Amino acid sequence: MRDLYEVELGELETLLREEGELVDRAIRGALNALARDDLELVDELVAFDDEIDSRYLTIEQGIPSLLARQTPVASDLRLVLAILYINLHLERIADYCVTVAKLVKLAQGLPRDAGVLEALAEMGERCREMLGTGLADFHARSARNFEALVDMDRPIDRANRKLIDRLIALGPDEAQREWAMRMILVSRCLERVGDHAVDIGEQAAYLVRGRFEEFTDASHKKSPK
Amino acid sequence: MTEPAFSLRTSGRLRRRQLVNRLMGALALGAALLAVSVLAIVVISVASRGASALNLDFFTKNQAQGFNPTGGGIRFAIVGTGVIVGIATLMALPLGVMIAIFLSDLASPRLARVTRLALDVTNGIPTIVIGIFVYTIVVAAHGQSALAGSLALAIIMVPLIARSTEEVLLLIPTSQREASLALGVSRWRTTFGIVIPSAMGGILTGTTLAIARAAGETAPLLFLTSLGTSATADSNPLHPLQSMTYAIFNYSEQGDPGFQAKAWATAFTLMCFVLVTSLGAKLGMARYRKKMGG
Amino acid sequence: MEAIRTKIDVAGQERLSTSERETVFEARDISVFYGDQRAIDKVSIDIYRRLVTAIIGPSGCGKSTFIRTLNRMTDLVPSARLTGELRYRGIDLYGPGVDAVEVRRRIGMVFQKPNPFPKSIYDNVAYGLRILGMKKDLDERVEKALHSAALWDEVKDRLKDSALGLSGGQQQRLCIARAIAVEPEVILLDEPASALDPIATSAIEDLMHELKRDFTIVIVTHNMQQAARVADMTAFFGLNVTPKGSREGILVEYDNTEKIFTNPSDKRTEGYVTGRFG
Repeated sequence: MRDLYEVELGELETLLREEGELVDRAIRGALNALARDDLELVDELVAFDDEIDSRYLTIEQGIPSLLARQTPVASDLRLVLAILYINLHLERIADYCVTVAKLVKLAQGLPRDAGVLEALAEMGERCREMLGTGLADFHARSARNFEALVDMDRPIDRANRKLIDRLIALGPDEAQREWAMRMILVSRCLERVGDHAVDIGEQAAYLVRGRFEEFTDASHKKSPK
Repeated sequence: MTEPAFSLRTSGRLRRRQLVNRLMGALALGAALLAVSVLAIVVISVASRGASALNLDFFTKNQAQGFNPTGGGIRFAIVGTGVIVGIATLMALPLGVMIAIFLSDLASPRLARVTRLALDVTNGIPTIVIGIFVYTIVVAAHGQSALAGSLALAIIMVPLIARSTEEVLLLIPTSQREASLALGVSRWRTTFGIVIPSAMGGILTGTTLAIARAAGETAPLLFLTSLGTSATADSNPLHPLQSMTYAIFNYSEQGDPGFQAKAWATAFTLMCFVLVTSLGAKLGMARYRKKMGG
Repeated sequence: MEAIRTKIDVAGQERLSTSERETVFEARDISVFYGDQRAIDKVSIDIYRRLVTAIIGPSGCGKSTFIRTLNRMTDLVPSARLTGELRYRGIDLYGPGVDAVEVRRRIGMVFQKPNPFPKSIYDNVAYGLRILGMKKDLDERVEKALHSAALWDEVKDRLKDSALGLSGGQQQRLCIARAIAVEPEVILLDEPASALDPIATSAIEDLMHELKRDFTIVIVTHNMQQAARVADMTAFFGLNVTPKGSREGILVEYDNTEKIFTNPSDKRTEGYVTGRFG
């Protein structure tokens, strides 16, 4: 029954899955560009963002249409709302990737610190892992890893703060200081990516459990959705 | 534009069909005209033969005493028929309606079927037999009376009223009864407060038709009330009163053409009464159906 | 600084918990048989005071049968038989000595197809009042009932006109006014809007919100969105196919409407409200 409706829901979820994969590639690309100081990659990444945007827009437009025409209820309603929010979070993550790429360009030619770069790479990998887990849970309709996801975010927040301390201590050199400031921004972007990944996990849990649960902690407050 | 793969043009088959259609139409029309013309012939012949005796005196005076073929009137018979049929209606109407209520609301399907069968059989009994029956139970002991005549007519009328009332009660949708019951109104008050009033048009129509039928009965009244006097317009139901139908019979037995004319005139009067009430009943029923359907 | 993690159940609403509500009907294991055929099987449910309770479910699931047990309209079907216990404010409705007519005075009903009497608008509303001896201040009572049914303004100048001249939606509101006039405590509505157009339907739904201030309302509807819009509590009746192949109705789930439509507990409820079956 409601075949057309099922097909529509399926199409939205497929688009979301594609978008997730593209965003994962974007994160990898941004991290690579940072590690290798690769300007060509930066340009590619900026162009690549259009791919993600087009899927974002299609989903954005598809959802009100579905809501109006099909009046989804119960788990269908939660699914549509989850798709809506995950779509937003993915788009924000992609934007942060572009920001990181642009920061790499701006930091061109400045002296780099290997330790800082390694720490940033690790943070980035963590984020990728979290995004992958959250999306996998969503597509599998499972909330298995939600608690773990929340735990994975904390080290990122800690790493961010440690990094800032380290960058401040880097040295009096003006070039070094400029690089440090750029890297602080990169760190901040990655930390935000991590937050969005947790939010995606929240949506997966909501879909499965039928209740909305969020967490608050001292370092960042979430506004109720 | 390519030629269509089939043809819609006229063919021999079509012409034959049209011919058959026209023939059937003509036959149907002819049958209808035949029926109507029979009625017309009856009405015209009765009217023409009785016309000579129709005058004001005819309706207002009682039978002239002595041998007077042209004087006097049938007032006695009009009053007699009125009393006999009137009392019969008073007896038959409540009884018929109650039977109809029983059939439509209360009876189990089996009991209802048995009752309906009994009513239909009663309807089919030759009226003269009904007359004999009433004779043996009433007249034999107490002599003739208009009441006895009314009794016989009532027996004839009850099945008619009961069946037509039942039909009308069944027309009232169950939803009406449900609406009343759901308000906390008892079954009986629902029947008399909603169902009967809604069905009233139909009930009256059915009764009118029954009256028309009863007014035209002769045979039962022969035994029961024919000895009524024709000199006075007696209206005491305990006395035998003459009816119009018997008067027709009586007059026609007389040789004189004056009496014959009276017979025709009485027949004409009675026929007019039946026609008017039948037509009125039919129109009433049509209006009632429209009201219920609207 | 350790992260303080607290879970906030954002979806929980400030509502009376079910244990705090007053019940009007308590049904325990109600089964209805028509002859040998069981139409509904062991339904147990509490209906709460001054709330709108909707009964939804696929056709043939016994919704109408159940609602008609609440005011003993099932009595009108000769072959109908009821087992189990149905209490109305503590009184066993089917107990010995209980007068069905009295029951129906307190528990009114409005039907699917509007069924006004072929009388004037005024007489329709006054009918019950006159027969039940509530003749004092008849005019005021009629006016009040018509006001409560949101019909007064439309008919105040033509009270003597035939009720049959009203539109379908107006006729249905007239039937509601007629039922309200005799001051019942409960109003049962069996698919009251299914014969009406969307605007008339909307008017009836708005009326439900008003009426529940004074009456307990139970409504059967095959339109889920309607139940979602008007009801506080929703009961989902499902179809159970017995091994012998006969179909009977059972109560599958009964909960706050919001729960039924955002996160139902039973898979069958989920299947029905999402339109996957039924």
